[in-house]
Amino acid sequence: MAVKRQLSMVLDLNKCIGCHTCSTACKLMWTNRNGREFMYWNNVESQPGLGYPRDYQQMGGGFDAEGALRLGRQPSQDDYGIPWEYNYQEALMTGTDPWLRPNVKPTWGANWDEDQGEGDYPNSYYFYLPRLCNHCDNPACLAACSRNAIYKRQEDGIVLVDQERCRGYRYCVNACPYKKVYFNEQISKSEKCIFCYPRIEKGLPTACAQQCVGRIRWIGYRDDEEGPIHLLVEKYKVALPLHAEWGTQPNVFYVPPTSPSKYASDGRTLDEQRIPLDYLESLFGPRTGEALDTLAKERQAKAEGRESELMDTLIGFKHAEMFKLS
Amino acid sequence: MTLRSMLRSSLALALSFTATTALAEHPEANPNVLEIKPGDTIKVARLPEQIYLRSQNDPDDLIWQRIPTYRTHVLPAPPVHPSVGLRFDEGAMRGKHLYFQVARTSERFYVRLHWKDESEDRASTVDQFSDGVAIQYALNGTDTSYMMGSGPEKPVNIWYWRADKNQPENLAAGGFGSTTLLPEQSVTGDSLYVSEQIALDNEWQVVMSRPLEAASEHEVSFEGGIVPVSFATWQGNDNERDGNKRVTHTWILLDTGEIASGD
Repeated sequence: MAVKRQLSMVLDLNKCIGCHTCSTACKLMWTNRNGREFMYWNNVESQPGLGYPRDYQQMGGGFDAEGALRLGRQPSQDDYGIPWEYNYQEALMTGTDPWLRPNVKPTWGANWDEDQGEGDYPNSYYFYLPRLCNHCDNPACLAACSRNAIYKRQEDGIVLVDQERCRGYRYCVNACPYKKVYFNEQISKSEKCIFCYPRIEKGLPTACAQQCVGRIRWIGYRDDEEGPIHLLVEKYKVALPLHAEWGTQPNVFYVPPTSPSKYASDGRTLDEQRIPLDYLESLFGPRTGEALDTLAKERQAKAEGRESELMDTLIGFKHAEMFKLS
Repeated sequence: MTLRSMLRSSLALALSFTATTALAEHPEANPNVLEIKPGDTIKVARLPEQIYLRSQNDPDDLIWQRIPTYRTHVLPAPPVHPSVGLRFDEGAMRGKHLYFQVARTSERFYVRLHWKDESEDRASTVDQFSDGVAIQYALNGTDTSYMMGSGPEKPVNIWYWRADKNQPENLAAGGFGSTTLLPEQSVTGDSLYVSEQIALDNEWQVVMSRPLEAASEHEVSFEGGIVPVSFATWQGNDNERDGNKRVTHTWILLDTGEIASGD
């Protein structure tokens, strides 16, 4: 879908510490009320893992090789996790309940499998994967909406659900392979990440990017050749889309995680990364190896005291250079 | 040719397919219920003025036993969007009987609908869809065309009831995807889910009504003459919503009589 300009985000997974400050910032700003309590427009999941909603990578959606919409499975409330509250008032203040306990039995939730990962010690591994709406060039949610309620803004490519037009059919929830559209049961309409467009329009970055303590997020326009997105995605090609094979052409890109060497049973280090390359390729595509090689090469250059434009960018010295919103 | 492509390509084929299943599905041919074929005209019944209604839209009111009941056949709607087409399965190919009664007083216009549904789907959650029913009125009188919508110059007024809210929506539309909530929500309604010994006999009963006088140009006028209507039902447990529905495939004509004269 051709738009005049496209905003984009790059996230460096090597810098993510899994603190969930991004999710918290987003939640406080947009989703802690009015039927949105279960929603994480931004979430951070441990990979390998089931993700949020549970096992979303196996739910389907997106487009097939011919570009036709594919049906997915509708996630259930249990797949998202039913949000619970604690009886602080009764247990701690009035003393009418002897136990401090959640009001629903927690059986699953976002990050239920946090930090579990895969592999056996000393070769166990995991990494954090923050996810938000990809504001795709070819949004499956938009294609699936029979009401034309979903649109992509010409000026910045942000994908939005028109709350006046939405009639809560939930085709979009089903069609988005990333499961980043959510159904609000309270108002019977679907809602999703709005890329903090009210902030963007004031020249401010999204809340998730602004609050990120690891400074892992860059925001800018795809066509800005002086900006960080162009440098990371086009020039050095170290930032890759998640599951490009789903056919939606995402505008959120990830710098894949490097990892230390694997250990042999006798304790020697092997010439093999601890996070298997084929696993990373299943997420970020066949160019993952090249991106990791580039990162290793540039990091070595920096370590040897040589110049590295890529490393200087990835360090993220100044917010002003990380967010180029004009 | 699959059932799905048959549905997509030919309305006539779908009609002939379901006609054969209609009788088998409804062995209890009630002689007091008149079967209405698309294109038939029926007269709107008149409620006596002295009748006291317990509540305005009570589906269980005794008065409904004295109003003629009609039966029509609702069939899967031809899909007009890939999202709809992708979801038609064999189960949705089955037709269904919808019973309706139409009546008026000198002030209000009433429609009572009932249909068999073995599951009561009232919830509208992230993965549950609720049962629903709708009445569609052509706004330009008999000068209308295809009942699935044919553009802004042939608009329709829709009364849409859904089990999760129980309060009907007053809608207008002019072609696919244009359904719009009207500013004037003048339609009221109520419903009853009647459970029987055998779940197959369980039934939804819904009454919707509105003052006779139209509040805007987008509301159907009952002031005399012929009003084309059609019906649609949604089966919540089959994940039906939007175009995933069963509809009457052509207009039924309502003779509203000489209401304007206030007889």
